[in-house]
Amino acid sequence: MHATSEAAGMRIDTDLLREVEQFIFREARFQDELEYDRWEALWTDDGVYWVPANGDDTDPTKQVSIIFDNRARIATRIKQLHTGKRHSQTPPSRLRRLVSNVELLGEGDDGQVRAGANFVVYESRERGVTLWAGRSEYTLCRTPDGLRMSYKKVALVDNDRALYTLAFLI
Amino acid sequence: MAGERVPLGELSSEFASVQLTIDHDGNGPRLRIEDLRTGHVGFLDPLELETLAWLPEGALHKLLDPSLLRWRGDA
Amino acid sequence: MTSADLANRWDSLIEPGRVHGSLYTDPDIYAAELERIWYRTWVYVGHVSEVPEPNDYVLKSIGPQPVIMSRDKQGQIHLLLNRCSHRANLVCDAQKGNSSAFRCPYHGWTFSNTGKLLGYPFNSGYDGTALKSELGLGRVARVASYQGFVFGSFAQDGPTLEEHLGAATDAFDRLVRLSPTGEVELTAGWLKHKVKANWKMLVENETDGYHPQFVHASIFSVADSGIGELYGDKSVAVCRDLGNGHTENDLRPEFRRLDQPLGWFGTDPAKVPGYVDQLTAVHGDNTREILIDGSPHVMVFPNLFIAEIQLFVIQPLAVDETVQHVTAVQYKGSPDMNRRMLQQTIGSVGPAGFLLADDSEMYERNQRGVHARTPEWLTIKRGLHRERRDENDHVIGDATDEVPQRAIWKHYRSLMEGQ
Repeated sequence: MHATSEAAGMRIDTDLLREVEQFIFREARFQDELEYDRWEALWTDDGVYWVPANGDDTDPTKQVSIIFDNRARIATRIKQLHTGKRHSQTPPSRLRRLVSNVELLGEGDDGQVRAGANFVVYESRERGVTLWAGRSEYTLCRTPDGLRMSYKKVALVDNDRALYTLAFLI
Repeated sequence: MAGERVPLGELSSEFASVQLTIDHDGNGPRLRIEDLRTGHVGFLDPLELETLAWLPEGALHKLLDPSLLRWRGDA
Repeated sequence: MTSADLANRWDSLIEPGRVHGSLYTDPDIYAAELERIWYRTWVYVGHVSEVPEPNDYVLKSIGPQPVIMSRDKQGQIHLLLNRCSHRANLVCDAQKGNSSAFRCPYHGWTFSNTGKLLGYPFNSGYDGTALKSELGLGRVARVASYQGFVFGSFAQDGPTLEEHLGAATDAFDRLVRLSPTGEVELTAGWLKHKVKANWKMLVENETDGYHPQFVHASIFSVADSGIGELYGDKSVAVCRDLGNGHTENDLRPEFRRLDQPLGWFGTDPAKVPGYVDQLTAVHGDNTREILIDGSPHVMVFPNLFIAEIQLFVIQPLAVDETVQHVTAVQYKGSPDMNRRMLQQTIGSVGPAGFLLADDSEMYERNQRGVHARTPEWLTIKRGLHRERRDENDHVIGDATDEVPQRAIWKHYRSLMEGQ
């Protein structure tokens, strides 16, 4: 995988950028609108979903994380939401997120694309409004069905502080 | 090997930041300690360092008093 | 309200089978709890493995109080208040570090990691040196540990830690016995999960065997979990009043009936052969029984919940705000078991956990519900008619009974009434 140059004036593949942006925006909409199955379908079979705690670069095999799901655990998370008895999402949070600063971070010969984006999520629940902000980093794979996520890491700005329940899809 | 300096690295805590180097400017090696917050430099020779290795609990307490050297009461 | 008024109120707030809703909402009661419970009794603060080397320190808390837990050069552990004796600035800011002395960033006052004031800049500004001996860091009056778990008490006098823990010492013994080295390490870091609820909602829920089938039905229905049945009406598990407000869901009777080593952890010895070999080398023929009995589920009043493979520390911040700190238990020197315990912990607990997100939702709904005006009381009568005593004379009940909640409130009342 060769890194995209950060030099000013570097030409970027705008078609690819638009494709990645559209993917990330669609993912955000599926999350906000509780389209759990369509969100899950965005994952490859070996997807890893990571939300670190106490910093952005901890070792998730040695340190606790807020989420560190392999593909099977992603499926469990979605199934749990579908039961209707996931109390922390029953009723579900009302959500809208803004995703911005989408950037291509690298492209590999195998068609994998690394991308990053910043986000702010406005969550409304009975408890009140909670704002969640952070940066997502993706590894996207090209499949016959389009781009799919094999890795998503969500680095919350306040991941070293005490957090309210985070039971919606971040 | 006069003039050669072997960098050992930086040690930082929330209270201090120092850079350590083995200094060969003299006739024998010394530990060079640079206070990165002020640029002040001090040296410790092997005998002094050996002595430090044997320090009992609290032996540095007097030296850690801020007004002893750096922020002197009579200044 | 004066403290005399409060003293007379407990009769009208706490009865054997019910407690008044205002206990969860009244700021005056919360203030009194800080003084009579959190700033008096033994409170869990940290574990020795969090300050493994001489001069290590880590920031901890006792309720809302900021505490520095330090290990001095001789290895002794100190609990100091993180408040400069000069003008009350926080002396330490980093969550952890290694230093024999702490220098306040405001005016440079410098303290040893045992709390002694070593000096301040420009000392001619003070008349004489008497200040130095007077103005050390505040300290938690008594510090003691059991099986590496460090507790602090702000009271100069009172029961010793072992007297306070009483029968709950057995929970720590059982926990460390599952480690082949006889030691646990809390090295996996802490998830900090905040809830808008009174701290007692959490304490009471930790050993509530009545809720899992309801609150956790969603995950039990989609994941292969035997937890639900442990707290079912056919379960032979019991709940127990261990005294001094400590309570237990004792699942051993059920695990012994099922007779599956490591069944309590949802795995079997073939999956963690290295760990089982290590444990067998230490415990020989007893290993099977140890692996069947599993790890304790004990709430140590007021703030340490030993939850099999996790440890929770409950920190009240306001009458309706509480932080639960949670980490994975790690057995010193057992990497294969530790990996599994960590991954299971990440899945279950913390803000996004399959279990704890729903418990926390209940805490917050409970806190909102208790503001409703009637019926004013919360009922904790479940199993009152079938309470019995075990061979150690502890009151026990069926798996889903409210023996633990009654035990917590009984002890709570004794502390709040005490002078």
